[in-house]
Amino acid sequence: MNARERVLAAINHQEPEGVPVDLGATPSSGISAISYHTLKQHLGITHGHTRVYDVVQQLAQPEEEILDRYRIDAVDIGRAFNDQDSDWYDITLPVGVSVQFPTWFRPVPQPDGNWDALAPDGTRIATMPPAATFFDQTCFPYVDGYPATYADLPDAMSKVLWSGLVHSPWDHASEADFWTQLRQRALALRQSTDRALMIVVGCNLFEWGTFLRRIDNFLVDLIADPDGVERLLDALLERHLATLEKVCAAVGDIADICRFGDDLGTDRGPFMSPATYRQLFKPRQIIMTDYVKKHSQMHTFLHSCGSIYKIMPDLIEAGFEIINPVQITSRDMEPERLKKEFGKDVTFWGGGCDTRHILNRGTPAQVKEHVRKNIEILAPGGGFVFNTVHNILPDVPPQNIVAMFEAVDEYR
Amino acid sequence: MNEILDEIYDDILAGNISGVKANVQAALDAGLAPGAILNEGMIAAMSEVGQLYESGDIYVAEMLISARSLQAGLAILKPHLRETNVKATGRVVIGTVRGDLHDIGKNLVAMMLEGAGFEIEDLGTDVSPQRFVAAVQASHPDVVALSVLLTTTMPSMLTTIQALQAAGLRDQVKVIVGGAPVNEEYALEVGADGYAADASQAVTLAKTLLAL
Repeated sequence: MNARERVLAAINHQEPEGVPVDLGATPSSGISAISYHTLKQHLGITHGHTRVYDVVQQLAQPEEEILDRYRIDAVDIGRAFNDQDSDWYDITLPVGVSVQFPTWFRPVPQPDGNWDALAPDGTRIATMPPAATFFDQTCFPYVDGYPATYADLPDAMSKVLWSGLVHSPWDHASEADFWTQLRQRALALRQSTDRALMIVVGCNLFEWGTFLRRIDNFLVDLIADPDGVERLLDALLERHLATLEKVCAAVGDIADICRFGDDLGTDRGPFMSPATYRQLFKPRQIIMTDYVKKHSQMHTFLHSCGSIYKIMPDLIEAGFEIINPVQITSRDMEPERLKKEFGKDVTFWGGGCDTRHILNRGTPAQVKEHVRKNIEILAPGGGFVFNTVHNILPDVPPQNIVAMFEAVDEYR
Repeated sequence: MNEILDEIYDDILAGNISGVKANVQAALDAGLAPGAILNEGMIAAMSEVGQLYESGDIYVAEMLISARSLQAGLAILKPHLRETNVKATGRVVIGTVRGDLHDIGKNLVAMMLEGAGFEIEDLGTDVSPQRFVAAVQASHPDVVALSVLLTTTMPSMLTTIQALQAAGLRDQVKVIVGGAPVNEEYALEVGADGYAADASQAVTLAKTLLAL
């Protein structure tokens, strides 16, 4: 079984030969640039680069050598772009680590030590304080209220960091031949690797509401102004469907997985009542997943942080075949419970190793024991792709990453 | 309980901002004591909101709109509370620690503490240890509440508590910590007085530590 077959078997709920593993196929299953740099140092690898492909979260794009070393089974189609040395430039992070940024990303250091990211018109859209290791949103285009029309929605979205500073391939989306390029490069990638291919589309609904209105205002809107919310969601859905139409046409027969994103959970439960989710978001998610299923070969993947147990049956009905990152430390999200109740209906892409207490603060032996336990719970019968619970952040010691993969190897 | 206070209570539970504003004014016009309006209409309602949230019967959206309706009512009530010398339950300085810009959790905690009658000084986000120290020196709070979202900025909790220690202020305040990556074990490790898993439990914790 090759990598792609392993991943597809798992998604089809057949236990593959060996647990499939992800590192870096999505912006929520990867590794921060600082941790990547430290890992390579630990491994004695002095060649190559730490390329920050997701500048918002400051994530590294794992190099081929690391993907081979850890036998990673999936990659982001985005890596087929920015593939020339001239697409990157050297920069030293505030903590002293040397990395590379894509040439279009030029944050401006401020007198207070922050690095500010600006839109082309000079609007400050993100900032990274000196003690931080990623960029945070500073511009909320609809913070004062919903606009009368959504004619300017693309412009408003471009002022939000998740769109304005988006990772590949979308950092090339404004180029005239982007969709042709996307197909050609995806085909070339398909020829060059037997790994499963992921296209990250986002198409967030709840989160775009929070990005545009700011999270506190949008949460209040859900109850106090559902009409306003629905008008915004309809405008977003129209844009998202236009994107999905082009994605399916360009790579629908090449990519294996289409990743949607929408953080619906807090640490203690969903952000909203299941009834509110069903009324406002679920029907629109169904429209999007239905479209992908009818117009491509791609499997549907939802990234949603937090405790989403209470809406898991709805998410499955909404057409998501894969759930990530499976935040096992949040309420009601114990791996045993999830596998027992939903294991036949959904694939867990994540949940393999807790990053909040264990991968970052445990000993290598504790990491291994934890990983073994989670794999033994989640892997039987397929429906599992091993991944850490969200990205590996700078506080994770490299020896723990090594230990984690050593434990994973016991199941391959 | 008085009918108007009942309505204020129900309005807060429903997150009916305009209703709270109208009914608080009506209560004042009817000559009800500001302290009673606060305690029986508003703090009591927020206590139920907190319990419903802890038990998972309501969610962040409902808690937030209830808290906003409380704030709308408090804006009208505050001058009258001052006039009649109604004392705050206690005083809290709150902030998200250095390096961390996340604030929704902190804001919810601040609102729930306010809903329990605490006076809040919110220092915002990315707050250095020095700013926490300065705030404690200036306003002598009973509680310092530290919020963090990221594992990578958790060490700022320790440096903040150490800064309070170095300034000779640690014994004058109760320090409580919270945020998704924090747990009881970490709270003890950094020398905090307590940890709360959510905004409602933060209220219970603050009151317990102050023996209220």
